[in-house]
Amino acid sequence: MLALNLTQIAISYPGLLSPVLVIDRLGISAGERVAVTGASGSGKSTFVNIVTGLEAIRNGRIDWSGTDLAKLSESARDRWRGTNVGLVMQDFHLFPGLSALDNILLPARLARVATADHVGRARALMQRTGLSRPEQKIETMSRGEMQRVAVARALLRRPGLIVADEPTASLDPESGEVVGRLLLEMSEAEGSTLIVVSHDPRLTQRLTRRIELANGRIVGDTQAASAAARDEVPA
Amino acid sequence: MIRFIFADLKRLWLGSLVVILLVALATALGIAVTLQERSLRLGSARAADKFDLVIGAAGSETQLVLSSVFLQASPLPLMPGDVLARLAADPRVAWAAPIGFGDSFRGYPIVGTTTALIANTAGGFAEGQMFDAEGEAVIGSAVTLAIGDEIKPMHGGPLSGGHTHTELAYRVTGKLQPTGTAWDRAILVPVQAVWHIHGLGEGADEHADHDHAEGAAGHDETGEPAVGTAEASHAGHEHDQHADAHAALDETFGAGTPGLPAILVKPKTIADAYRLRQEYRQGNTLAVFPGEVLTNLYATLGDAKRILIAVASGAQGLVAASLILVTVIHVGQRRRQIGALRAFGAPRLSVFAIVWSELFVLIAIGIGLGFLLGYAAAQVLSGLFTAESGITLPVSFARSDLATLGLLFGFAALLAALPAVLAYRQSPAGALRA
Repeated sequence: MLALNLTQIAISYPGLLSPVLVIDRLGISAGERVAVTGASGSGKSTFVNIVTGLEAIRNGRIDWSGTDLAKLSESARDRWRGTNVGLVMQDFHLFPGLSALDNILLPARLARVATADHVGRARALMQRTGLSRPEQKIETMSRGEMQRVAVARALLRRPGLIVADEPTASLDPESGEVVGRLLLEMSEAEGSTLIVVSHDPRLTQRLTRRIELANGRIVGDTQAASAAARDEVPA
Repeated sequence: MIRFIFADLKRLWLGSLVVILLVALATALGIAVTLQERSLRLGSARAADKFDLVIGAAGSETQLVLSSVFLQASPLPLMPGDVLARLAADPRVAWAAPIGFGDSFRGYPIVGTTTALIANTAGGFAEGQMFDAEGEAVIGSAVTLAIGDEIKPMHGGPLSGGHTHTELAYRVTGKLQPTGTAWDRAILVPVQAVWHIHGLGEGADEHADHDHAEGAAGHDETGEPAVGTAEASHAGHEHDQHADAHAALDETFGAGTPGLPAILVKPKTIADAYRLRQEYRQGNTLAVFPGEVLTNLYATLGDAKRILIAVASGAQGLVAASLILVTVIHVGQRRRQIGALRAFGAPRLSVFAIVWSELFVLIAIGIGLGFLLGYAAAQVLSGLFTAESGITLPVSFARSDLATLGLLFGFAALLAALPAVLAYRQSPAGALRA
C-alpha cells in the first residue's frame, strides 16, 4: 500500500505554450481509491505517466512512500514500476500468440522474478476474475475477457498501487461493469491504493475521491459521501 | 522470454520468412561463388596431376594444356613424329606417349595413345583389359558403353558436322577406374589406329584411294584438329596400309612416325623435367608443365573470382541495407508493443534482448540456409560440369569458410543490435502514445 506526496510538478512540452500539467501539491493516502476525471487534453495521461514513472520529470517531487521517482534513473523507475505498480490500460496491451496465463506472467518473467508461486497466483487470479481457461490464446478472447486478464496481470506481483487508465472505455457496458467491479473488489482485497482515470460515471462514482483536471490543473478534489453511498448507485 | 520471442515470430511469420529468404539467397550467392571457384581450382589441379610435361608443336601453351589434359578439342599444330622417337630413346625419360585426337563417338573424344600412358596414368581397370590390337579400345569410367560394344569413330565432334569413319570400328575391351579427370570421358585407342584411319603412318601411300583423302585437306578449312596434316612428312610404307582391326600393336616409333599434336612425357627426375622442358621449348616444339600453365590460368580466374565476389558482396550489401530498413520500420511499428513491455516493468535489457534475438535468429537461420543452398548449388554446378567434361570438381568447405561464417554471424549480431538499441532508447510513455 503506497501513499503519494506530489509537489511542484510542472510539465511542458516544446512547442506548446501552456504547460500540460501543473500541480503544486497533491497527496493521496495509502489505500485511497481515487478517480481522476477531465476532458481529453486535460492532462490525465500525463498525470498517469508521471505518477507511474513512465515519464521522467525534471523538477518537483513524486514521492511514493519515501521513493522519489524524480531522483530515479530510467532503469530504476522501470524496476520500481514493475514491483509496485499494477497497470491496466484502455488498449489492454496483451501479447497475441501467448496464452492468457503466459500473458499474466510475462512481465514477471521478463523481469526474471517469476517463481512457482507466481504461477499459482496467476491461476488463482484468473479464477477470481472468472476466467476458466488459462491456456486459451489471448487473441481468441472477447474484449471483456481480455481486460479481465489485464486486471489479473496488474495484480500478479501484489503491487502497492494499481493505476487503471480508462479501463472500461473500450468495453461494452456489461463488460465494463464487470471489469470496474473487479478492479474495486480486488484492489480492496489486496489493499492496494487505486487510481482510476476515467470519464465513465458508473465507475468513478464508486470511488471515494474524485480529482478533476482541466487544462493541466486540478480544478476539483472532492470526497464521496461514504462507501455505502456508492452501492446505491444503479449499475 | 523464449516463448514470447517464438510467439512473436509466429505472429509475424510472413515477414520473418521474407527476411530468412533474403538472407539465405544473398549468403548462398557468395558461398556458391567461393565453393565453385575452389572446386574448379582443386578439380583441374587434380586432373593435371599425372601430366608432368607435355610437349607439342610451337603454339599456345594454354591451348596445348586444354587439349591434352582436359581433352578440349581444338586445332593444334602438329610436330614431326620423330620427336616422339627421340623422347622415347632419351635416358632422362621414364616413358613418353603420344596423344592423338580429333575423332569422337557419341560426344566422347577418341584419343589415340599407347599402353604405356594408360598403364601409368589410369588407376587400373574396373573391368576388361588393355587393348591388344588396332581395332580395340579402352574406355574411361564415365563412358556409357559396355565391354564388347562397337565404336564407329566420327571425325571431329558431333557439333562440328564431321563424317563417320568407315575404315575401322573399335571394339571395347576394357573399362578404366574413375580418375576424376577429363580422361574419364575418353575412348582410348591405339594411336596407330588413328593414323591408319586418317591414312597416315605406314599406310600413307594407300590413303589416296579411300574416301578420307579429300577429308584430310578439308579438316584444315573447318579448323578442326586434324592428325592428318603432316602426312607429307613421312614416306615409310613397308606394311599393309589399310586400317586393320586385327593388326598387332606396334608401339615403336621412328622417323616414319606421323605428325603428332601432343606428347605426354614422364621425366625420371625433377631436374630432368626442367632440362627437357628447356630443350624442347626451342625451335618448332613447345614444352610445358601443365601445373604451371594452370597456375597462370588461375591468376586470370582469380580476377574473375574477385569480380564475382564483388558482385556477391554488392548483393549482400543491398540485402543488409534492406534488412536495416525492414527492421527499423518494424521497430517503429512495434513501438507500442515495446512501450507496453517497458510499462509493465520489463527491464530495458530484456526488451533489448527480445528485439535483438528475434532479428538475430532470423538472420542466423538465413545464413545457415544460405550455406546449405550455396553448397547445393555448387554441387549441382559441379555435377553439370563433370557430366560435360569428366573432370570431377570436389565441392568442399575449407577452414576459411569457418571464418566467413563467423564474420557473417558477427555482422548479423551487429545488424540485429541496431533496432534493439532503438527499442532500448525509447521512452515507454512516448512509445505508448505512438
